[in-house]
Amino acid sequence: MKFLVTKDLQHSTLLGNLMAGVSVALFFYLGLDVVLHAYVIGSDMVSITNTLYGNVEEFIEPILIDTLLLQVHIDLFMSLFSIMIIASIYIRLYSDKRVTKWLVHTLFILGLLAPLSLMVAYFTSIGFVYVWLVSFSLGHLLGMGMSLLIVKKLLFK
Amino acid sequence: MKHLKLYHIPIAYMLVYVIAILATGVWLFLLSQGLGSSDIMQILTQIAMKTEPKSLHNFIEVATPHIFAMGILIFVVAHFMLFSTKVSQKFSLRVSVLLLIVALLNILAYLLIIFGVVVSGWVKLLSLELFVLLFLLLLGMVAFSL
Repeated sequence: MKFLVTKDLQHSTLLGNLMAGVSVALFFYLGLDVVLHAYVIGSDMVSITNTLYGNVEEFIEPILIDTLLLQVHIDLFMSLFSIMIIASIYIRLYSDKRVTKWLVHTLFILGLLAPLSLMVAYFTSIGFVYVWLVSFSLGHLLGMGMSLLIVKKLLFK
Repeated sequence: MKHLKLYHIPIAYMLVYVIAILATGVWLFLLSQGLGSSDIMQILTQIAMKTEPKSLHNFIEVATPHIFAMGILIFVVAHFMLFSTKVSQKFSLRVSVLLLIVALLNILAYLLIIFGVVVSGWVKLLSLELFVLLFLLLLGMVAFSL
């Protein structure tokens, strides 16, 4: 991050291209993360509730707390790094826009809300599953959108 | 630079994320020691007296991602101290190096238990407590510097 702040982009095409490269990688990471979570947790309300709470009629056991907590632990770590990189580059390129501040705030809040609401949903009620679905989807979409805006600014000036 | 002020936002959120990662990590560790079946004090005493046995395979499975993750997390958090004007670089260096050593000891503690160097789990418990406390100190230093 120190280099992102101090290096002048006008005189460093290498840094510009590296930033575009990492943004493309993060764009695909976020997309694949959605697919991964659809496999692990579920892609619709029925499969998500079956994973979290089990289903007696279909003999499905609920997910173990250890497994879910490990997933949340990993999600928090991965979200932190992916969001930090996207936010840092985005601020570097769009610091003059007033909306930048709010986009960064929203991205971080959604990134934190998703894993935490999944844990709360496990212990409380199905209502928090909706919170997880919305925050997870919006967070990933926002991250992907910001990555695209970074690439657009760096490669298609 | 005008946009430097905006960088306070990701750094501040990073502190919250790291606290959440630490909390879930400690919770995971306690669960592996049987938190579900007995209360916290009983678990802590049990860890100090004799920890849950772990195979070498199990140790490698846990240690490998943690060596990478802890190392990179400490580096990222501690490197923000380079910008600090309120905390001396010397103190930041001491805390960061100590944190890296304690993190390594925390990961390798189970290796000492597996090979019978120590029988009780006090090394694991002590290194975990030290690791969390030092990390919280580093996070506090970053927060104070913002």
